Amino acid sequence: MQKSFIIKRIIYAIFIFFVVLTLNFFIPRLGVDDPAERYYPPQGNMSDIEYEIIKQVTREQYGFDVSTFKQYTNYVEGLLRFDLGTSFRTGNPKVSTLIAERLPWTLVLSVSNLVISLCIGLIFGTVAAWKRGRWQDSLLLNLSTISVALPAFFIALILSFYFGFELELFPAYTNPNMVSQFDWSWEAIKVVFFNAALPIISMSIGGIIGYSQRTRNSVIAVTNEDFVLTARAKGLSQNKVLFKHTLRNAMLPIVTAVGMSLSGLIGGAVIIEQIFNWNGMGTLFLEANNTNDYPLMMGIMLFMSTIAILANLIVELTYSLLDPRITVGEKR
Amino acid sequence: MLKKIMSLTLVFISLFLVGCSSNEYERRDDASNTLYVGSVGASFPTSFMPWLSRDGIAPTISSMVYNTLFTYDDNTGTFVESIGKEWYYVSPEGDPILTTEGNIDYDELEAVYSGSDESYLVVKIIIHDDIFWHDGEKLTVEDIYYTFDIGTNNALSNHAGSLAWTADLQHSYSNGVMTRQGIFTYDHGANERGYNITEEEKDTVMYLHVNKVLGAITSLFSTILILPEHIWEPIVTVDNQLNSKEPTAETLYQYQHPVGSGGYKLDPENSNAQVITLVRYDEYHLKDGLDYLYKVEKIKFMLFQEQNVAIYALLKGHIDILDSTVSSNYLSLFDDREDIFVSNADGIFTQTLVINLNPATSEKNALRDLLGISDFRRAIALAINQEELVSFVLNGAGKTVSAGLLSENLTDFYNPDADILRFDLEERILEANSLLDAIVPDKDHEGYRLLAGERIKYTILGTPGEQDVISRLQVQLQKIGIEVEFKAKGSSPERTYIFNSKFDMTLQGVIFSLENADIMYRAHFVTLSQSSNYGRLTDSVLSAKINEMRLSLNLNYKYELLQEIQELIALNYYKIPLYTSNIISVARTDRYEGYIVVEGSTIFNTDTLQNLRRVEG
Repeated sequence: MQKSFIIKRIIYAIFIFFVVLTLNFFIPRLGVDDPAERYYPPQGNMSDIEYEIIKQVTREQYGFDVSTFKQYTNYVEGLLRFDLGTSFRTGNPKVSTLIAERLPWTLVLSVSNLVISLCIGLIFGTVAAWKRGRWQDSLLLNLSTISVALPAFFIALILSFYFGFELELFPAYTNPNMVSQFDWSWEAIKVVFFNAALPIISMSIGGIIGYSQRTRNSVIAVTNEDFVLTARAKGLSQNKVLFKHTLRNAMLPIVTAVGMSLSGLIGGAVIIEQIFNWNGMGTLFLEANNTNDYPLMMGIMLFMSTIAILANLIVELTYSLLDPRITVGEKR
Repeated sequence: MLKKIMSLTLVFISLFLVGCSSNEYERRDDASNTLYVGSVGASFPTSFMPWLSRDGIAPTISSMVYNTLFTYDDNTGTFVESIGKEWYYVSPEGDPILTTEGNIDYDELEAVYSGSDESYLVVKIIIHDDIFWHDGEKLTVEDIYYTFDIGTNNALSNHAGSLAWTADLQHSYSNGVMTRQGIFTYDHGANERGYNITEEEKDTVMYLHVNKVLGAITSLFSTILILPEHIWEPIVTVDNQLNSKEPTAETLYQYQHPVGSGGYKLDPENSNAQVITLVRYDEYHLKDGLDYLYKVEKIKFMLFQEQNVAIYALLKGHIDILDSTVSSNYLSLFDDREDIFVSNADGIFTQTLVINLNPATSEKNALRDLLGISDFRRAIALAINQEELVSFVLNGAGKTVSAGLLSENLTDFYNPDADILRFDLEERILEANSLLDAIVPDKDHEGYRLLAGERIKYTILGTPGEQDVISRLQVQLQKIGIEVEFKAKGSSPERTYIFNSKFDMTLQGVIFSLENADIMYRAHFVTLSQSSNYGRLTDSVLSAKINEMRLSLNLNYKYELLQEIQELIALNYYKIPLYTSNIISVARTDRYEGYIVVEGSTIFNTDTLQNLRRVEG
């Protein structure tokens, strides 16, 4: 891999980060009324002068008492110190602290979802491709059609009502003491996975079908390649042809897809978290939005954007490692 | 490779399965006197500094843990005892202004203060002498002095809310130095000022100087939750303000372990971002007032982020009450359920159609000029069929509203003469068309009226959830040849459309009550800049009446003016009433009984709490 290629991609990622950072700062402000008027409308018989004092106090409290440009430079300065600012919540907790508290819980869902979707998707997709045109393949195609019509939140509600409330196989919503009582004991870990079962299943159904389709298409494409025909002509067993030659070569687009899905790892579960009362990043963002907690909203958005930028960078670099033609193309 | 993938999958599936144990829904096996309350929201707060924690369920919790001086009864227009036992106005010399029956003598008040040079009214407050904070300390008037004093002192509390709530108190600071004293206790200069407080009364009697209007006491009495001086005074300094952006560990501890004087105490050990536990405070000073006052020993608030899930949790017995309004669409779920109590309480929130009758010069156009004509607006108001809106938009769970915009339930203050839009619909349509024929007689082939050859067409700003009502208005106004259509108002409509007059009509919810009359009437009908007066009404007669009402020291006259104001509001055809939606909420009856339906509240309300009893067995 060319050094210049890597440096270019990193510089490009840094540039994108600053664009995102700037938009992240200004876009929320486009919709913000003067917080002073929003939080404290004129009361009682106060004079205009008294009301101005109150508005000024509120602006100071929320950091709106300096020019927008100054606010922006303060924000960038803070970021250079890895300070995402303080939330408007009582006690003004650090945004980074709030994110750190919620991130692991979202990762439980999203990483489990990714692993399950990928593993089962690879199995289904390979089987469907290998049995192309037979019932396994038809089943996958039909499931794909159905999954498009059933969004994850709808599946989540159905699972919550049927498997949670009616059959009571899994918790219909998260045990409210799960987070506060978590102590890394085996019992606590079991409780987490028990409570996570329905959210993960809700999220995974679409993922499984998606990866299955990708795998199927990729495997079929590779199956028609000359080297696979050669392998077969050499008299290799079905398993060797499938695993040693076909599947390995079919993995490239799957790896790309996995990389791309990393960017949605944090923010992809907002509604699922809401349905199951799961205390993760998605619900943190909703809380910030509901309470006009702009520093928290900006912090979460920036964090998610940074993850997406990093994920894209990793995918690009990995892709060029796996497929040297990409680097060659850059060189030309 | 396939084996490895399958193994990994099996590991994950196993993790779920090993987790499988019985589901634990605490309420089912709970034989104690614990009420499980479902609350729909994003999260629960973990800090309960009552002035600062204002989001979500925080005000509910604060109002149960802390007390105000008095509470306001909107039906009678009187203050009910809480920390305060009694209050009345006194003359500047400290003489009570009371009738022989012991009520406030408003005629005398007006006589004493109208001719007085003083710029304030003097209020005497006597508090209960048996109130103790949750940590056992006695509550005295010094706590109230501390609360009001710090609320006005932005060197110690740089908090806009408290400054706003105490705006009517004539007690102020400049850079931490008191510039005017308006709170007087035994220890803070009452006797020196001429207000006689004896040694025996020193913990229970105080005087306030408030602005010279009757409404000046409202937020002081019924909004500000009283803080314990012994907790906050040692902590709060100029360098560590009450609402510091970087609170010390001790301040944070106090936020999270509130010491109040209300009927319930917070149990921090059993509270987190998803559950809040309150335990009954057995020394609560008002506990003996009623037979069943606060019989519930423990209240557990459980968070649900999704309302459908919360409703099912109630149906399945995971909670006793859902403290949330339920859409009338759900009512059929509770049919034939004898274990569910459905509260269909009258609402106090009136939906109105606001007409932009006086746009800023830059936003004027020929169509909006029509909206400035009173008869044109009357025609629109006459064509609106409130009964139909209640039936179709609210599935019958609502009420029609007077054009005077005050609830009929406020029987002493409601003015039936302001109810000028409720007569036979056919007659109304006839009159509306006749009015419009005189203004815009031409019509197109579809029956819509024309102005300079163009169809008269307006947009109504609304949220996606309000499309239903706007669609129905579209049908109703078609009968008078006026076309309206929905326009999404977006996330910041005040800035985008309303404060700069870029709209024809919009929907606006209004609540007018005796408690908020001083503030709301001025905001909705007088103030022009960036206020709730979206259509910038300028009616000098109405403005003068509202100002007179606010400044009157004679309560009886104030109420007379309120009745006149209703008529003037109705005659402007500016905020046209559409409906008041009921507040539907639900509770289970298998563990508790004695739910009380209260106007404007869900079934989880103070009256219910006073009346609830655990069902035996």
